[in-house]
Amino acid sequence: MRGCSIRAIWILNAQDAVVFSRRFPVVERRWREACNRENESCIEEDTLKEGSSRGFGIRTAQSTEGMDSWVDDPITRHVISVYINKEEEGENHLLWPLILHIKGQYCILVLPLVEPQHLKAYARICKRSDCGNAVGVDESVSSLLLELPSITGAFMVAHAIGDIISGDMVEPEIVVSASPVGGLLDSLTGSIGIAGMSARPKPVAAPVAVSAAGAVVMGAIASDAPKIGSRPLDKDALRTFISSSMPFGTPLDLSYSNISAMKAHGFSSSDLPPADLKQPAWKPYLFKGKQRLLFTIHETVFAAMYDRDEIPDSISISGQVNCRADLEGLPDVSFPLTALNAAHVEVLSFHPCAQVPEQCVDKQAASVMFSPPLGNFVLLCYQATCGVGPPIKGFYQLSMVSEDEGAFLFKLSLMEGYKAPLTMDFCTITMPFPRRRVVSFDGTPSIGTVSTTDRSVEWKIITSGRGITGKSVEATFPGTIKFAPWQTQRLPSSRPGFGNIADEESDNETESNGNMVNVDEFLMEKMNKDLPSVDLEEPFCWQAYNYAKVSFKIMGASLSGTSIDPKSVSIYPPVKAPVEFSTQVTSGDYILWNTLGKCPSAASRKS
Amino acid sequence: MERSSSLSVKPLSPSDWETLIDDFQFGPPRRQKWTSQYPSISLLDLALTSILRKESPLPLKLNLLVFLEEFSAESLFADCDAHSVTSRLIESARYVIQAPIDGISFTVSLKEQFMVSVTSILIALDALSDASAVRDLENFVDLLLSVANRPNFSSDRQIRAVACECLREFERAYPCLLAEIAGHLWGLCQSERTHAAYSYILLLTTVVHSIVVSKMNVSMVNPSVPLVPFCVPQLLTSASTSASGLNLKELRRVMAFLLESPHFMTPCGMMEFLSMIVPIAIVLELQTSLLKVQFFGLLYSFNPLLCHAVLMMYMHFVDAFDGQESEIARRLMLISGQVQNHLVFKMLALHWLLGFIGLISNEKFDKSKLGSVLSLGFYPSVFDPLALKSLKLDVLAFSSTCGVENGISVVELFEDGLVCVSAFKWLPPCSTESAVAFRTFHKFLICASSHSDNNFSASKVLMESAIFKSLQRMLVDMTLEFQRLVPVVVAFVDRFLNCHKHRWLGERLLVTFDEYLLPKVITDYRLASYFPVLDRIAESDTITPCGLLSLLTKFVVFLVEKHGPDTGLKSWSHGSKILGICRTMLAHHHSSRLFHGLSHLLAFACLYFPDLEIRDSARIYLRLLVCIPGKKLRHILKLGEQLPGISSSPYPSSFFNGQSPQASHDPKKYRNLLSHIRLERAVKLLVNQCWSLSLPSFGVSNDRPGNLEGIRDIEFPLDAEREFDPSVGTHVSEAERFDRPKEPLCVMDSVISEILGILRRHFSCIPDFRYMPGLKIRIPCYLRFKSEPFNQDLGLGSPKTGTNNVDTIPAIYATVLTFSSSSPYGSIPSSRIPFLLGESSRDYFSSDQKGSLDIVPLENGVSDDESFRASVVIELEPREPMPGLIDVAIETNTDDGHVIRGRLDSIVVGIEDMFLRAIVPSDIREDAVLDYYAELFNALWEACSSPSSTGREIFGLKGGKGAAAICGTRSVKLIDVPATSLIQSIECHLAPFVVSVIGEDLVNIVKDGGVIRDVIWKEASAFDATSSSTDLNQGPLHLTYTEEEEDGEDHPCISKREMGCFRILIFLPPRYHLLFQMEVSNVSTLVRIRTDHWPCLAYIDDYLETLFLA
Repeated sequence: MRGCSIRAIWILNAQDAVVFSRRFPVVERRWREACNRENESCIEEDTLKEGSSRGFGIRTAQSTEGMDSWVDDPITRHVISVYINKEEEGENHLLWPLILHIKGQYCILVLPLVEPQHLKAYARICKRSDCGNAVGVDESVSSLLLELPSITGAFMVAHAIGDIISGDMVEPEIVVSASPVGGLLDSLTGSIGIAGMSARPKPVAAPVAVSAAGAVVMGAIASDAPKIGSRPLDKDALRTFISSSMPFGTPLDLSYSNISAMKAHGFSSSDLPPADLKQPAWKPYLFKGKQRLLFTIHETVFAAMYDRDEIPDSISISGQVNCRADLEGLPDVSFPLTALNAAHVEVLSFHPCAQVPEQCVDKQAASVMFSPPLGNFVLLCYQATCGVGPPIKGFYQLSMVSEDEGAFLFKLSLMEGYKAPLTMDFCTITMPFPRRRVVSFDGTPSIGTVSTTDRSVEWKIITSGRGITGKSVEATFPGTIKFAPWQTQRLPSSRPGFGNIADEESDNETESNGNMVNVDEFLMEKMNKDLPSVDLEEPFCWQAYNYAKVSFKIMGASLSGTSIDPKSVSIYPPVKAPVEFSTQVTSGDYILWNTLGKCPSAASRKS
Repeated sequence: MERSSSLSVKPLSPSDWETLIDDFQFGPPRRQKWTSQYPSISLLDLALTSILRKESPLPLKLNLLVFLEEFSAESLFADCDAHSVTSRLIESARYVIQAPIDGISFTVSLKEQFMVSVTSILIALDALSDASAVRDLENFVDLLLSVANRPNFSSDRQIRAVACECLREFERAYPCLLAEIAGHLWGLCQSERTHAAYSYILLLTTVVHSIVVSKMNVSMVNPSVPLVPFCVPQLLTSASTSASGLNLKELRRVMAFLLESPHFMTPCGMMEFLSMIVPIAIVLELQTSLLKVQFFGLLYSFNPLLCHAVLMMYMHFVDAFDGQESEIARRLMLISGQVQNHLVFKMLALHWLLGFIGLISNEKFDKSKLGSVLSLGFYPSVFDPLALKSLKLDVLAFSSTCGVENGISVVELFEDGLVCVSAFKWLPPCSTESAVAFRTFHKFLICASSHSDNNFSASKVLMESAIFKSLQRMLVDMTLEFQRLVPVVVAFVDRFLNCHKHRWLGERLLVTFDEYLLPKVITDYRLASYFPVLDRIAESDTITPCGLLSLLTKFVVFLVEKHGPDTGLKSWSHGSKILGICRTMLAHHHSSRLFHGLSHLLAFACLYFPDLEIRDSARIYLRLLVCIPGKKLRHILKLGEQLPGISSSPYPSSFFNGQSPQASHDPKKYRNLLSHIRLERAVKLLVNQCWSLSLPSFGVSNDRPGNLEGIRDIEFPLDAEREFDPSVGTHVSEAERFDRPKEPLCVMDSVISEILGILRRHFSCIPDFRYMPGLKIRIPCYLRFKSEPFNQDLGLGSPKTGTNNVDTIPAIYATVLTFSSSSPYGSIPSSRIPFLLGESSRDYFSSDQKGSLDIVPLENGVSDDESFRASVVIELEPREPMPGLIDVAIETNTDDGHVIRGRLDSIVVGIEDMFLRAIVPSDIREDAVLDYYAELFNALWEACSSPSSTGREIFGLKGGKGAAAICGTRSVKLIDVPATSLIQSIECHLAPFVVSVIGEDLVNIVKDGGVIRDVIWKEASAFDATSSSTDLNQGPLHLTYTEEEEDGEDHPCISKREMGCFRILIFLPPRYHLLFQMEVSNVSTLVRIRTDHWPCLAYIDDYLETLFLA
């Protein structure tokens, strides 16, 4: 069984220049030994000179044997190969697997240690001359990925580094009486009381709805959005982190908060080890001070609302239980999973500190027991369906009256059937028009205010501070919108595109204005002609559709119906500590598709 | 501890160090400047000094340590004595590590980094294998052990953890290094309670692991050696002792201890721990249920590494985990669906699942159990990124092989799954959605059919399968509805066609298209978008081309019918693509199969297609089809495609692309071939040297119509209103316009007006080349080539010649000759010769010899071998009558399909090629032609004599848009040849142009000769008058040979005994004239020359000399 070791790490900037590199001679030596064992010429790549751009991922007309995209697997956009050209030897050396992680303007490359046989296997796979791999047979990338935990580890490393260089090390948000609670450093400084160190002032309330969920819940979605401008690379911080988390190239602990806490505080003789238990690696400090136990259920609602007969609306909730246990010693906390095991909660995965008996997930009576680490942490994650109705119901219609003029209508009902204490904190609807410039706009909503930008219209139905509790709101908004005349635009695609297959569609005039049914279709045909192809990381080509995006925040209770009863939480060894519980629901991709236009959909599971 | 070493080199400042480190990281080129300046040992000394210096900033110290570590083995100390490096390092390390922490110069970070870096360097330099460095290694390990040997000491817990990590790294690099002190380490493990315990446990696990792997007999309970001082075990240095068996009992106890500890681990540590525990457990034959209880729960963690660790464990204990497969699959499915996970980990989860399936499907495992889990859980959702959708569809494709479950058929599965990318139908064909969709088609189609086995029964099953049928149907419908997807569909078919295993699938799809798509395609201009598919069908020899041919024929008919003024280019483009497909068919099918349909199609195209080029090409193809035997034809057509580097281009945008294969690899060889091919004039020129007088002002071209001698546009003094005003109702006819005098009226006598009348009539017959096809000059030529040298150069051996003579005659096919010229000859149409055989040497040499004789006409000698030469007629449309050169480019195909391209010798055009007879107006009766010529001669003679009589007149040309003026020039030439030879030459070369013969003696002689007929015979009298009457010497230019010539008639050389004279009228295209009046006497002849194109006189002089004097 193989572990996980890293041979080297490189960070490239937007210009593909290496801005940081770190190599681990010990691991490199192991690679060289493995090569010698296999009687294989081994590479000693000097510096990664050529920057690598993201590949197609899928086999296209441009793919040739030996390219990553020849493998025809989306993962090759993240696990890439690079040919190193050694001038003196005149032959190309394959370097694989290079883990590619793009964070902000930086491109992080991690080269994990694999065995020469794996490298050879990959070389074989990407040079096969046949039409592509069948699923589950033959030598495949899948079996390589399964055999190589070092690739998984390298991804973890890459993500940890990415979070550090982009400054994304946000601890999960815990809300107590509507104000967030500080993280690990607070609990340290508040309790340890090292001489000369005063408690850090509480952070100003973090910006709502973005902060906590941004890092964890919406990680997948947020990752591709460009991060805050150009943040200079803090090489020293990075070097320190790497030296501590993987001194010899083998990752030991990727928790930045723990490592930075230890670097900042060190240990003093007053930090006594527990009397009879061993202190876990993930809890280098023990809490001292006022004891309390906080839980926040954070749910994010994803919805595709169609308002059509043939496509059912789809709503899903991804939730997590964030926890902060300011408890002295090394106690175990447990609470029954009954509430979470309601019929519409389906996925459960836990923090590594939780002990999950094999059967617990299915049994109603089972409870989860965990030994909490310090600071805020995500105890468990789940997927669920909506227990109550969707928070925002209704439809959005946009119809083009002429090429540049459209009429739209919203008819929405908010919080229908929602009772107190469910409170809608704010609700905003945005109509983005990324490909058209909004010239003018006309119309008054029944409630709220409207503002426009060049490329969007924003309707604030409920503004923060004037939240509504336990009552439903009907909102309508008819209006017209006028755009600047359509200009054929070749938006630069993020990459060459999936085959210039259709580049010369020149002389077959597929459509003439005569047979177009209406303006909408004609316009769509016209606009779709030069739609850029999207990255594989996007769910679909957003720009091809008209939609309105809803963002909101709901406090008071979870939408899935999950909750934790403070009374059922038990702590062992027993201490008297107050247990607090709060919830927060925010919107993820909550989309109202234009009822009169095209919309993406997916078949739902049949049971 | 300040080092007092001999530092001859300048110490480096912090910023120097930064540059140095940057340069080292950049690579060898920039390293050079440092390594040349500082020997590596002194660099080490400098670095250590900087690190130990109190005032150095901490980040620099750490940075320097990492720098030493990274470059130690590779470049920095590669050529140093290991001991000199290690001893220095360890001395400094000891100093730093043992120093009390002051928080400023000696911090925890520095100590930790020092331990780590020195450990790295020692391992990288392989200290153990170097006898001189072993001692240093022992010292350092000793140091580390002494650091670690203080369990539960509060403040330095992290330093102890790092020391354990260093020891672990040593143990990993040199297994069993710490084996003898394993017992002590166990003791430390048991007592440590801070978070550093984790490092102690990992260290112990590593040691146990190497003990177990190398089967070393060590007592864990009663260690035989003390912890410190440390000695490298004999085992490692001598490498002689063999494994002595394990102390199983004690090891199991250690294991029991270790297995209690996983909860202390970080996820990464757990991975590390498990990777060592599993092999130990296997060797010690531990109960796997123990491991399962301890670790299986990790599968429910949201940390991907832990999930992977469980999978790794599963792979080692497949039997113990029997029955868990569905649970694992379900779990992986859930991970892939968990929004909180980063995309990459969702994708990894799916890959693990696929890999996992691959693994267990090798075992005896009931796939159907998995099928239900898979098919249910992997419907992509709307907001899944496309990459994830794509992978989920893969899983669905796999689950379709697991059998039908829960009443969901494979087709339903497929169609439902595809909904999530259904936008591919209307998005641009290059969209990511379509890439994903077609990838999924592929996966569903080939399902579980491996590329490595040769089981063809599977393909039969597949062909009958519902999924295949429905996919076929879908592709056909899709292609019918969305033409823009055609290229994508074709690329999809190509993908199969290029696969050794699944070629049949591609062919099968083409058959489907042929059967179901072609009949449904609507015949209109949109049909053109299907050409790529049609081309593939044409290529497939398993499909009868009837359907395709009838569709193409329909389309050609459609194109012909729809042809209008706006569709010219479109017709051409479509037509050429159709011909391209025809060509593909010719290349891939038996002619007999095609003959009926294709010959109809081509015949129709070459008769009715609106575009000339297409008609022409269609004719060539038709001739190829009819004339060349199928096998040979296919051979010819295919060869081009099989050349490496030209994979059949998916988009034959123009059939010419398809037609012209790559140029041959050996240009030299083919250049030689070219030298054997000749294009030569059928009739040799009289004047062989070629020069041409180029006067820029006479370059008559379309864009410069207003030249002095050129044609200018008639300027009508009409106002448009009057002309087109319907109320007036008068329409000015073309004739009226011409008759209207352009200049103010001038007095003219009747003779002149008669002359003008004749000239008007004459000029109105001359076409205005600017607006209509001009007069053409034809130069007949022959193309031929020698067989033997051609064969030799082509590489065909001569041995064959003996056996079969016919076979050795080489041939060239589809020759295209293109002509170009720098002289003003207009555009010269290219010439095509479908087929030409080479001449055998006998023929060749005989004709060659004949050819080398100067004047002998070729017709006499080569009548018998017409098949060995092709007649080529070069058609010129001169803008100005002048000699010149025509460059000839050839492109032809040899027997073996190679394309020869190059130039042939130029063809010389002489002035005599320009000689034409004047055009006779259509209303002149045949018997009046002679008189007409005579009158015309007189009129022109008059017009060219004196500019004043007609000089200001302009004469409208045919077409009515242009007009020309006559600007005459006169010249004379005395030729000293006897009359008889002169008459012979005239008969031979100028007979067609003789208008009249005057003078009794001359008439008699010429009449007797019988060559010149149909001319006006006059008995003496008249010519004196005509020649002398209007000799006014007032032309704008008068070329004279000598002063005396001005009065030609009094030339002393002219014999008084005059026999008579010839009058010769030559028309020079585009609109000029050359008039000779040859006054013949016995010994010499005076030629009076008049022309309205004076530059031609320069060539005429040469011409006359060669004609009569040569």
